[in-house]
Amino acid sequence: MTSTDPCNSQQAESKANRSLPIVENFTRRAAVKGGFATLGAAAFVAAISPLRQAAKSTTAVEFMQRHYTELSPEQKANVISRLEAETKEKYGADVTIADDRPIPGTKFVYAINLSVCNGNGKCVEACHKENNHDRSTNQSYIRVIEMPKGTMDMEKGSTTYSGIVPKDDKFYLPVQCQQCDEPPCVDVCPVKATWKEEDGIVVVDYNWCIGCRYCEAACPYHARRFNWKQPEVPAEEINPDQSYLSNRVRPVGVVEKCTYCLHRTRRGKLPACLEACPTGARVFGNILDKNSNIRWILENKRVYILKEELGTKPAFFYYFD
Amino acid sequence: MSSSPVKQTAITSYPKFIGRALWLATEGSFAFYAWMTVLTAVFLVGANAWANQVAGGMITTNMTDHVSWGLYIANFTFCVGLAAGGVMMVIPAYLYDDEEMHKVVIIGEAVAIAAIVMCTLSVVVDLGRPDRFWHLIPGIGKFNWPMSMLTWDVIVLNGYLLINLHVVGYLLYMRYLGRKPNVWWYLPFVFLSIFWAISIHTVTAFLYCGLGGRPFWNSALLAPRFLASAFVSGPAFIILVMRVLRVTTGYAAPTGPARTLIQIIRVAMTINLLMLVSEIFTVLYTGSAHAAPLNYLFFGDHGKNGLVPWIWTAIGMNLVGTALFFTPAALERSHVRILACLLVIVGIWIEKGMGLIVPGFIPSTLHEIVEYSPSLLEWKVVAGIWGLGLIILTLSLKLIVNVFTDRMHTDEPAT
Amino acid sequence: MPRIASLFFAVLLCLFASVALAALWQSGMRANTPTSSAAEAQVSQASVHSNEAHPVIIRKPSGPPRIELAGTDPQGRTASVACSTCHSIRQANLENKTAATLDEFHQGMAFNHGNITCYACHNPNESDALRLADGSSVAYENVMTLCSQCHSKQAESFAHGAHGGMNGHWDLSRGPQMKNNCIDCHDPHVPKYPKMIVGFKPKDRFNEPSTAEHQQEGTAAHDKH
Ligand code: SF4
Ligand code: SF4
Repeated sequence: MTSTDPCNSQQAESKANRSLPIVENFTRRAAVKGGFATLGAAAFVAAISPLRQAAKSTTAVEFMQRHYTELSPEQKANVISRLEAETKEKYGADVTIADDRPIPGTKFVYAINLSVCNGNGKCVEACHKENNHDRSTNQSYIRVIEMPKGTMDMEKGSTTYSGIVPKDDKFYLPVQCQQCDEPPCVDVCPVKATWKEEDGIVVVDYNWCIGCRYCEAACPYHARRFNWKQPEVPAEEINPDQSYLSNRVRPVGVVEKCTYCLHRTRRGKLPACLEACPTGARVFGNILDKNSNIRWILENKRVYILKEELGTKPAFFYYFD
Repeated sequence: MSSSPVKQTAITSYPKFIGRALWLATEGSFAFYAWMTVLTAVFLVGANAWANQVAGGMITTNMTDHVSWGLYIANFTFCVGLAAGGVMMVIPAYLYDDEEMHKVVIIGEAVAIAAIVMCTLSVVVDLGRPDRFWHLIPGIGKFNWPMSMLTWDVIVLNGYLLINLHVVGYLLYMRYLGRKPNVWWYLPFVFLSIFWAISIHTVTAFLYCGLGGRPFWNSALLAPRFLASAFVSGPAFIILVMRVLRVTTGYAAPTGPARTLIQIIRVAMTINLLMLVSEIFTVLYTGSAHAAPLNYLFFGDHGKNGLVPWIWTAIGMNLVGTALFFTPAALERSHVRILACLLVIVGIWIEKGMGLIVPGFIPSTLHEIVEYSPSLLEWKVVAGIWGLGLIILTLSLKLIVNVFTDRMHTDEPAT
Repeated sequence: MPRIASLFFAVLLCLFASVALAALWQSGMRANTPTSSAAEAQVSQASVHSNEAHPVIIRKPSGPPRIELAGTDPQGRTASVACSTCHSIRQANLENKTAATLDEFHQGMAFNHGNITCYACHNPNESDALRLADGSSVAYENVMTLCSQCHSKQAESFAHGAHGGMNGHWDLSRGPQMKNNCIDCHDPHVPKYPKMIVGFKPKDRFNEPSTAEHQQEGTAAHDKH
């Protein structure tokens, strides 16, 4: 790029015909340029040919699909039957995908008894199975932090502990989506692919998310997961009881998160992680119901919330006996 | 405005101008074609790597749920700075009525155009679902404005691109027609673009510093730091470009602007380093929540120190580069100047990219230390983006040189 | 020029004003998100919902324990005996507090439950039942009544779902709820909750540089370019 001579000659040449530079050799030059342009275009097409394979897995209908909140009931039904057929085709599993809507008059709240939790990780595993997470990465929406007693500073904790629990000088802090009342993840999403529903659950439309991962950067609780690859789940391990906004098998390249198992909880059932907890540390319920367990805990126990100073207002509480 | 004759002919002559500009811009010496071929090849490698990334999923990058943004967003941040910095030259040119600067200004705008294209591409390659890009388009998609800072960024970046295209296009077109540009047709846009240049970088800083959960970014100093470093990387890049132009085409800008640029770099770099020091002091002396990422960045943590070489390289380059700029030799000797420019450009690229985006994620929000270093595929994609950016820059510079050296102007008589 | 400079300044001011306005608007939006207001209006409805059509079922022990006899009779049948088979004719040692002195069927039993005697909970007069603090008898099935005498805190928490774990439904209008009883989790003789082994761990650090060999597979395919 620093060689000067050819340039100067070129310059001299064009100075000779300043205002009419394109007369000479026009057709030959045009042909050469056209040839190069064609070559370049062909090379470009060859370079991006892997895209064809990716395009095969996205149908035109899927490409054109509108945002969840804009779908009419028939459109929704079509989308859902398409997704069910896709799961059958790609995973060989018969599943039912429901469209569970919030129960009027509910606001879901979770609480965990830190005096009781012993860090055994059964909830992590239950979430993995319930929500059809990728098997090869043991993905799960829950992480349990092993913390030294006498601090609430997560910097001193570790999620990779193993072996016999509980250790004498440790306590255990399970973290999952806190279903914040002021969720930073929702604020930052550029395409409104994630939002908070009336019962407090923050959901993601996996067919609308563009995968920018801004929400993952914004969430202070490491609650969001990105599908770095297409999840692998053997047909016989797929949980067939699915919901559009919850545990259906997610497409590659989108973000997902804990939904308090809305495919269970919106049908009145308890979340999978709670049922799996052998120590009974987990409590779930409707905070709007005055007689609910969760209400009693908030009124009678010493309650703590994570990173309160950030103003995210979690719907997730930690308490002590 | 005496533009009625323009209106009559503009419809036909502007496309003609563009066509001819393109034709001439792809005209050149063997060295030029070699340079363009290399760039095209690099771009194709990048395009191929990106296509593989889309086909195989982003597992092919080295990002994880812990470090969910990496090289792409790092490069994006730097390019925004470059775009903003390129245009800030306009300020001395017009505020102080520095006539000589005008020649430089147009180069700055060309740099800005190329940089904005690179920004957009850096974001697109970072998307998990580029096929759903249309969800971002206001009107047909669903635009979360004004809540999401990313939508602000989309707006200001595109607006900035349009403004600069207009200013460059208009100035060149007038020159091509052999007419004096009408002040009212470009000066307002020039001023708009200054203010817009500040806004693109401020909004980009807000993108990060608005996240309460990331203490490393959540600092009020971030936006000013971004601006200060943009004032360094932009002018430094322009000095480089001017040098290359002088060597390859003999298009020589007067020395005055180079001096002004170096003055700007001196001041901006000093401010940038000052803010960096003040940030480091605040964090390390109080040992606040910010301390962990900073500790990791500068000294490593729990035996993990993947970023330590990066940041010290950046700091070393910035310090040496700044020192060089402060020597009188920087004004007189072009190779000293070039070396200093290269040092600060690379230094700031690291400081704003690997040194700012990545440590925002380390430790993660649960205070886990999971390291990141870009995969080969990511490097290829970023190289491809730069390849395309430089192709655009080369073509537009060629066009500018052609017009300004009167190698290209209309054959119609000027009005 | 100064005119243009001040124009520039004015534009800048406008920008800041609009950003500030947008921020205000955003906080306004937050204040009345549909979640809080709409949900609160529904409180009364919520109690309608908890009309508890379904029960909360607390699992119960099947009855007094029986001792399995070693070996089988000539017909190959196994047999078990009730506590009272032996204890009805033996003198109760009301003082005993430790497993060390136990023999026969109780040999080798572990005991670590505070400083209480066996007969604090077992009934010396009716060996197939338990004994409350006031000396009255309580059936094995109702062991929770016994535990709750001392562990009233836990009993209270249990009653409010804050201790002990459950399955089934949170919404009793839609289905029943099953709860554990004390001795499902706590061995009454060694009530401390047992240690466990962590079995399942997410493998989410797939791309960390230290495990570089793994990611190499991902990129190797593209290297052939
Ligand atoms: S915990 Fe994270 S993902 Fe869940 S609502 Fe809050 S910010 Fe969003
Ligand atoms: S990753 Fe998806 S849900 Fe998250 S901010 Fe981007 S588009 Fe929204």
